[in-house]
Amino acid sequence: MHPQSRTYAIFGIAGSLLGLVFAALSSVDYAEHLDRHLHDVHCSLIPGLVSGADEENPCRAAMYSAYSALFRGSYWGGIPISLFALGAFSFFLGFSIYLFFAGNGVSTKALAFFAAAGMTPLAVSLLMFFISITKIGSLCKTCVGIYLSSALLAVGAFLAYRKLGDPFGERPEGKWGPPVLWALALLGFTLLPSVVYAGAVPDQKPYLRSCGKLEKPVEAHNALIRMRTPASVRSATLFEDPLCPTCRAFHQRMLAEGAFDRLDVQMALFPLDSDCNWMLTNPLHPGACTVSKAVICGGDQARQVLEWAYDQQDDLVKAAKASDAQLRALIGRRWGPQVLSCIDAPATKLKLNHQLHFAADNAIPVSTPQMYLGDLKVCDEDTDLGLRYTLGQLAPEVVP
Amino acid sequence: MTADPGRVRKADPGGLRTAAVLGAAGALVALGALVLTVHATVSSASQRLQTPAQKSKVAVAANAEEAYCTPRFKEVLERVLHSCGLAEGEARRGCKPADVKTFASISGQDFNELFTPLKQRGAVILFDTGKEDLDASAQKALEDRWLDRKGARYFFVVGRASKTGTVESNRALSHRRANSIQFFLKDKFADSELDKRVGLLWLGNEFAQLDKDFCNWQTSRSGEKCDDESINRSAFVSWVDCRL
Repeated sequence: MHPQSRTYAIFGIAGSLLGLVFAALSSVDYAEHLDRHLHDVHCSLIPGLVSGADEENPCRAAMYSAYSALFRGSYWGGIPISLFALGAFSFFLGFSIYLFFAGNGVSTKALAFFAAAGMTPLAVSLLMFFISITKIGSLCKTCVGIYLSSALLAVGAFLAYRKLGDPFGERPEGKWGPPVLWALALLGFTLLPSVVYAGAVPDQKPYLRSCGKLEKPVEAHNALIRMRTPASVRSATLFEDPLCPTCRAFHQRMLAEGAFDRLDVQMALFPLDSDCNWMLTNPLHPGACTVSKAVICGGDQARQVLEWAYDQQDDLVKAAKASDAQLRALIGRRWGPQVLSCIDAPATKLKLNHQLHFAADNAIPVSTPQMYLGDLKVCDEDTDLGLRYTLGQLAPEVVP
Repeated sequence: MTADPGRVRKADPGGLRTAAVLGAAGALVALGALVLTVHATVSSASQRLQTPAQKSKVAVAANAEEAYCTPRFKEVLERVLHSCGLAEGEARRGCKPADVKTFASISGQDFNELFTPLKQRGAVILFDTGKEDLDASAQKALEDRWLDRKGARYFFVVGRASKTGTVESNRALSHRRANSIQFFLKDKFADSELDKRVGLLWLGNEFAQLDKDFCNWQTSRSGEKCDDESINRSAFVSWVDCRL
């Protein structure tokens, strides 16, 4: 057997093995969080390297996103799609091993099957890559690892296709049973890890209402920002910081779930910036007080200003670190001089102060975001990984 | 994995069978090992969920508590709160000199020293002789102080009068000065919670008179002549950053 004749199988084995490693790391990261605690996540192209428990890394953002799992309304956190990858790569590992040892004796059907099926992980990866770029706005390195593995596998599939010559020129002889069996095996392998996972995930219902209540839900000065739409069916109180990446991700998840528009939101801005927030000795998000005041100054357009701040968060953070003037220039360029002068108005300062006192009166945790459905606090872990499930349980009317 | 009966090239059936077995074994071993790993991780998370470790303590939002909130300072302020109608449900508002002397159990000088840390935080609102009207600069200073609330919960107003006049008339005058400030704040800010925030004391000229050093504090009439007499035609105002 000429070694070159096995190149496609070697690519298949390499891609599958690498894919297995990344898919397994991602799945284990996901499963770790079922205990409702924050854990380190793997986020490196070097398999196994842990990136820490910070909330801002792209792998955590991807994990918390609405696109990382299926059946999120039925299972807390859903069934991670990495489990499907795990099953599929296992199958392709086995099939590539078979192709490798079968050598030149391999059938045309086997090659054709490998050439076609081996492209599917790449197709899924391209879709997820597109979602990462357009919806999540960042690339998770573990996910990139899976994309690269899929690409390696796809190279193997392409080489197998080349080896076929003209697959459409002559119909291969023999029965079609084996390709059907392989396809069924691929399906079975792909689904099995998910079935096992779904059977093992713990019931989270008892914990959903365990995080307390908003003791004083009414703000006496009418200082909270109301974000109501015609579709709003359930009241909610949110505490957010416009320069907090976790809040941005949370807001994006709420929009992706279609839940935000169905909530009658009263929002208290809670900038983690010691410039206006006495609860911090150092600014965690410098400039957040100024941007919060801009949101307040938005008036009827407060939601648009907030969403603009989330969209432009990286630029705003950079500008704020450089100087307050640069930050104000960005705000002024988008929202005009009226908002700029409003930022320094005493009434704006007072309103933000009332919002911070609202947080103090309710003794909320000094971290953002915080979400209350009615007066029931939604636990932090239920606002990220378990958001869809939790909304389905506590406020089914807000999830389409 | 099944050997393909439709192969077109000649192949050793035994070799293909071996290849199929190796492939199937490889796939199953990889899948089995990884599924077991994931299952074990899920089970472990379930166990942790049922026997949770103590959650790490998270800071909670609260009113400010600055370093000057010493036990002695808070003791006096708490007495003011409870004795002068700031505590929830109290009907009366404000305290007169006799009350302050009684509940504070403190000399006038010590009382003033307690407020020394508020030099930057507060302001001395100055009045004309025998008057309680707030001039424009007094209104501006008051507005600035009120808006600079930060994390404070209570706003204290301590009205005084100079030694000119009788004890009774000065007591009444200092009361009117404290009220004048409260009325201004109510009119200006229409804050429904103002009554729960503003604590009034009026000391006349009987207790805790200010000395000339207080002329160096932020006053509503900076640049004007200030002496032992004029500094007491005043009301000291400040938010207090203590959890009481």
